[in-house]
Amino acid sequence: MSNSHPDMLALITTLKMAGLTTVILMLIGTPLAWYLAKMQSRAKVFIEALVALPLVLPPTVLGFYLLLLFSPQYLPGQIWQQATGQQLAFSFSAIVIGSVLYSLPFVVQPLQKAFEQLGDDLLEAAAMLGASAIDRFFTIVLPITKASFITAASLGFAHTVGEFGVVLMIGGNIPGETRVLSIALFDHVEAFDYAQAHIISISLVICSLILLSLIYLLNRPKKSQPVLSKRFS
Amino acid sequence: MALMLAGIFTRFLLIALLMLPVSLVAAKDMVSVNEAPLRIAVASNFAPTLKQLLARYNPNQKQFLAPILIAASSGTLFLQIEHGATFDVFLSADSERPQLLSTSDLAVKDSLQTYAFGQLALWSAKGHIDSDLLVALNNNKQRLAIANPRIAPYGKAAKQVLESLQRWDDYKNRLIQGINIGQTFQQTRSQAVNLGIVSNSQLVLNNFKGVLISSHLHQPIKQQLVILKHSKKIAQAERFVTLLMSKQAQQFIVESGYASSSEISANE
Repeated sequence: MSNSHPDMLALITTLKMAGLTTVILMLIGTPLAWYLAKMQSRAKVFIEALVALPLVLPPTVLGFYLLLLFSPQYLPGQIWQQATGQQLAFSFSAIVIGSVLYSLPFVVQPLQKAFEQLGDDLLEAAAMLGASAIDRFFTIVLPITKASFITAASLGFAHTVGEFGVVLMIGGNIPGETRVLSIALFDHVEAFDYAQAHIISISLVICSLILLSLIYLLNRPKKSQPVLSKRFS
Repeated sequence: MALMLAGIFTRFLLIALLMLPVSLVAAKDMVSVNEAPLRIAVASNFAPTLKQLLARYNPNQKQFLAPILIAASSGTLFLQIEHGATFDVFLSADSERPQLLSTSDLAVKDSLQTYAFGQLALWSAKGHIDSDLLVALNNNKQRLAIANPRIAPYGKAAKQVLESLQRWDDYKNRLIQGINIGQTFQQTRSQAVNLGIVSNSQLVLNNFKGVLISSHLHQPIKQQLVILKHSKKIAQAERFVTLLMSKQAQQFIVESGYASSSEISANE
């Protein structure tokens, strides 16, 4: 397959979309998850429900409302157009924003669980020894919850690669911009081009299987410290 | 002895119980083969028209019971039929899929018919566009929404229109492609795209007005139907098709925004 092959282009667009979405999700999802894990207020359940909402809404429904919001008819679309000079609907930015919303629970939920299980004593001790909040995050929180970060990022990425409904509604099937693999795959099936559809499906399944297996391999809990056990045996 | 009797009795009861569903099914079959309503698989774009048509021309269910309509894209329905979905009639948005069902022996012989001709229209939800198709297309410097020409019959026709008017090269890099004509309508209606080539039936249904696109600019969008071979209600299905093809129903379909067959044959 050459670089100009339409399915190759769709693959590149997909990877760009999923990559950028994952980066944004980690940047937004981490503070949000921390806030939810440490929050005491009653508003917490409401925000939790809000984050989980994309799990309930059918993607095409979510996509339909995003299409309305992104159109120049409504405020978000207007603001975007004024700020960037470009229309939001049917653009690469639109499918990234859609994916961020759609994959948000897959990133926030594992991180929130990890932060909730993190005891306060370590952090308090570190604070007393004078470690700043940023220090505490990078030297204590991150190493302890590393596995959950990997899970969150990989789920966010994988879920975005597999996304169809939202992109279908707000993408508009523009080659090199919004035509992602799942859309190309759907086109092939609808056009009776099953051979090409099978090729994409199989490569998608194999790549995802390898990627996910690698992540779970890296993420495997380490055998309980051999040094200690040797000493006590 | 009592124990043995009880045993025989239990066995008898068990057999009777086991037979119950069989007899129920048999009884049900006898009444229901003719009585159950038709299951009609209908392309989404025709479903609203069909609903209105049935309410108008078969209100007391004299000719057949009120059918169950299963509306989805023609491609999806076709796949489901190929894999054993139990529909009685298939009203497709194209002619390719019903013809495939005919040749692969899944349709009742000679049941293939054209029940409607798609009518395209150029439309903007934002406001006025020129009533001359070519001028309106030339005035638009932004994107244009059409259904995907590769998979949707209305999209294929829209592409032919642009080609006939020699506007394809101008537009091919600024198209928004919907998976079907319904999505194209939705995208145009949301004003996320300025201009769209939509199906006139959607405009009629929603009381909008667009610029009608003459059907000599593209090959006819033949929407065809077949009765499916495995149907157990073929007689009822035939009554439905007779109604659909009747002069009054055909007139109603044209009023609902489809092209008339006389106009098509005049062009051919």
